[in-house]
Amino acid sequence: MSAPVDPHEYDPFGMSRAGVRLGRAIAHPMYARWFRVQAYGRDHLPARGAAIVVANHAGTLPFDAAMLWRDLLEVPREAPPRFVVDHFVPNLPFVGTFFARTGAVVGNRPTFHRLLSNGELVVVFPEGTAGIGKPFRERYHIAQWRVGHAELAIRHGVPVIPAAIIGSEEQMPAIAKLPLRVFGAPYLPLPVTPLPLPVHYAIHYGAPISFASRFRPEEGDDPRAVDAAANETRAAVERLIADGLRQRRGIFR
Amino acid sequence: MSGVLVTGATTPIGEALVWRLAREQRERRILAVGIEPPERAPAFPENVTYASADLSRSRDLRRLLFGPARDLALDAVVHTAFHRSAAHGEAGHRLNVEATRELLHLCDRHPTIRRFVLRSFAEVYRTDAHEPVVIDEEQPLDLSPHAPAWIRDRVEADLVACTRMGMSPLHIVVLRAAECVAPGVGSQLHDYLQPRVCLTPLGFDPMLHLLSIPDLVRALALAVETPRQGVFNVPGKDILPLSAAIRAQGRIALGVPGPMLSPLYALRRAARGGAEFRYDLNKIRLHFGAVLDGERARSALGFVPEHALVWPV
Repeated sequence: MSAPVDPHEYDPFGMSRAGVRLGRAIAHPMYARWFRVQAYGRDHLPARGAAIVVANHAGTLPFDAAMLWRDLLEVPREAPPRFVVDHFVPNLPFVGTFFARTGAVVGNRPTFHRLLSNGELVVVFPEGTAGIGKPFRERYHIAQWRVGHAELAIRHGVPVIPAAIIGSEEQMPAIAKLPLRVFGAPYLPLPVTPLPLPVHYAIHYGAPISFASRFRPEEGDDPRAVDAAANETRAAVERLIADGLRQRRGIFR
Repeated sequence: MSGVLVTGATTPIGEALVWRLAREQRERRILAVGIEPPERAPAFPENVTYASADLSRSRDLRRLLFGPARDLALDAVVHTAFHRSAAHGEAGHRLNVEATRELLHLCDRHPTIRRFVLRSFAEVYRTDAHEPVVIDEEQPLDLSPHAPAWIRDRVEADLVACTRMGMSPLHIVVLRAAECVAPGVGSQLHDYLQPRVCLTPLGFDPMLHLLSIPDLVRALALAVETPRQGVFNVPGKDILPLSAAIRAQGRIALGVPGPMLSPLYALRRAARGGAEFRYDLNKIRLHFGAVLDGERARSALGFVPEHALVWPV
């Protein structure tokens, strides 16, 4: 019997072309019909080379990540975007495997470093779990802004593309966070509605922020430089959110 | 290069290494060491001397190193002898850890031996949901109190060699090899893939990194020659999810809720005596991916895996 294993079918992180196709097929009805996603400024994304996309994160369940992922597939790049997910995700049966097949990776420094060195497009939600679990009344307010993306952008001299996702923060108000640590997740959200509301999504990409001309790579170790860079990306995302909210006609239209 | 001592020479890996080293340089003297008496040792080329020794016995080690190894003026040791059975315990620890430690001590003051190559294992790395899937040599080692002795012994042997780098007059190379999936080499995955139905944790399909014997042997042979000292991952050619490995082997994968796997495999072991696969040793890798980054071996040793596995293994 010969070797029936195709060495190019999977990348070391477990992403496969078939997995990306499946993910796209699953996300597409939501993308096109349910949330009717409209993207602005997608041409700010580089067609090649490493870059980091940072965006706001909210809405109880990560539909915003799925829609951003689906939208970034429209960027003519060689490889699909790599989403950085929380540490508990690989513990989730089926979900963890499915995410890995679509290109998600757990956020840690060696992995991040590897992806940027490979010239990939890495997507980060600096708000993390605090963002997706933020109360409804705090929608469109940044819950927290982790600085890891700024450190790595400085160290690797790669641009950061800020993005604002409008609509997601109203999609699924939650009544409660049940204190159940299922598969290592920090809590079990209890949304008001079983499905997300058919809010109208808009994704606004901003101009790339380049740190390469202002910071030397070694300054990735300097907390002041990192905080200054992170404040800049945060301000850019906040500006895009404010503009996006001003431009929209309504939550559902 | 004047001569090499190879431990574990009667295992498929050791035997292939002895043949390769003997063929590479006809004038090279090789001392093949195994626990089997000479009449049961495999046939070797004529520049190979066979010596029988139980490496877990201190006296045997001394007789070997300061007897035939000195007479042959060997200058390198490749230590591949490890207990292949997962039925660990005192005997496993004596061979896997204490023999490595003692061998290093004796080589330190040996009149001719200057180089020491340890065949170590990718299993020494800690893998879980938090750690990187793609593993370089800086990855934390699995020293958790929950790690089975089988793993902890491998970590200790690896560290015994690592801590002597730079302190000892020896030139030390540690090769952390991906799992060599072949019969008779103590591969847990090989045993896992033998039954018709392979039980997998439901909803998990981690990435595996597998190595073929020819590639491991080539990496060991390169390590004997390298001017570099250090720790190197030895990646294999096959990077694939568990489900693809089961399919390639022609077996049926059956997903079972994770917590049920341990009792099921315990039952299976109890039902059929000799079964070597132990779920407790493999639980983590059946959930979370572990793929070796071979960049250091490529740039320093010139090693790139070339031989994919031939399925079924």
